[in-house]
Amino acid sequence: MLTDYEKAKYNRQIMIPGFGEEGQKKLKRACVFLAGAGGLGSAVATYLVAAGIGTLRIADHDIIEPSNLNRQVLHWDKDVGQKKVDSASRKLRQLNEAVTIEPIAETIASDNVSRMVAGCDIIVDAMDNLPTRYILNKAALEKDIPFVYGAVYGFEGRVMTIIPGKTACLNCLYHGAVPPRGVFPVIGVVPALIGCIQATEVIKYIVSLGELLTNRLLVYDGLSMKFTELHADRDPNCEHCHQVERSGN
Amino acid sequence: MSIKMNISPVFLQYTNNQRVVEVEGTNVGEALDHLTNKFPSMKNWLFDKKSKLLDHINIYVNGHSAYPENLGKPIKDGDEISIIFMVGGG
Repeated sequence: MLTDYEKAKYNRQIMIPGFGEEGQKKLKRACVFLAGAGGLGSAVATYLVAAGIGTLRIADHDIIEPSNLNRQVLHWDKDVGQKKVDSASRKLRQLNEAVTIEPIAETIASDNVSRMVAGCDIIVDAMDNLPTRYILNKAALEKDIPFVYGAVYGFEGRVMTIIPGKTACLNCLYHGAVPPRGVFPVIGVVPALIGCIQATEVIKYIVSLGELLTNRLLVYDGLSMKFTELHADRDPNCEHCHQVERSGN
Repeated sequence: MSIKMNISPVFLQYTNNQRVVEVEGTNVGEALDHLTNKFPSMKNWLFDKKSKLLDHINIYVNGHSAYPENLGKPIKDGDEISIIFMVGGG
């Protein structure tokens, strides 16, 4: 049920053919798990909350540092030293009072990820490291929850949507262990753009509109301003997919 | 013979800022050898010490993954190769 205020607030998206009040109700009922409240997370959270998502559960263990502020636009100068989830929750609740924000100030790990994502309709990868992405990928497959991968470096970005058991997963795409890397270069407009594409995928999935970015890796090169789409096929030998199939999910 | 290899912006500093490099070869391995002969510092970004392609590097030929053949994947005149590495920032 939408209130008159909600109908007025979301009028411009309700007008989109195929979206309608039904689409808005679907968004209102949905729960999204957002892994990371940094550069990607700021864009994803801002636009999902503005669009009227029902619940946004955000996990991030980080404290805000000055070097975050060029891209993590939910965090401001005065927030340095605070927990990212606290700063993000405060801003997002002001942006849209009707949205339920569930902050989790914990490190995402193999032994707690299942609890964190429980009950969510979709998982969004807004992490700043590769090992946690693999933890999220595996959890998404095990719990049969769609997963929107996104990552950035410098002027480059990547996005792909994963439907467990049906489309290529992150481990199908990149084979084997990936060495941990430290601090990475990035300009704020890149996670903003990639995060908005991720949020678009979430909205499309929830509202059942359009065509998802599945089995397609979208590569963005901001320097030459080119988007390249690469085919991503399921790997029949993918350990993550196999593990889930063996466990009967 | 004209085979184009698209270079990720991350690697431009190792290819004299060339975004597209013309390479030769009958398979991906030969094309990458051609690239690394031209730009030797690229080798460390693509291969491990045993000359195995690094796990976080993906090679695409005409938009399709070269996996699992990878270096043995045949290529021909007019093909376009892209080197994609896994980025982890957020």
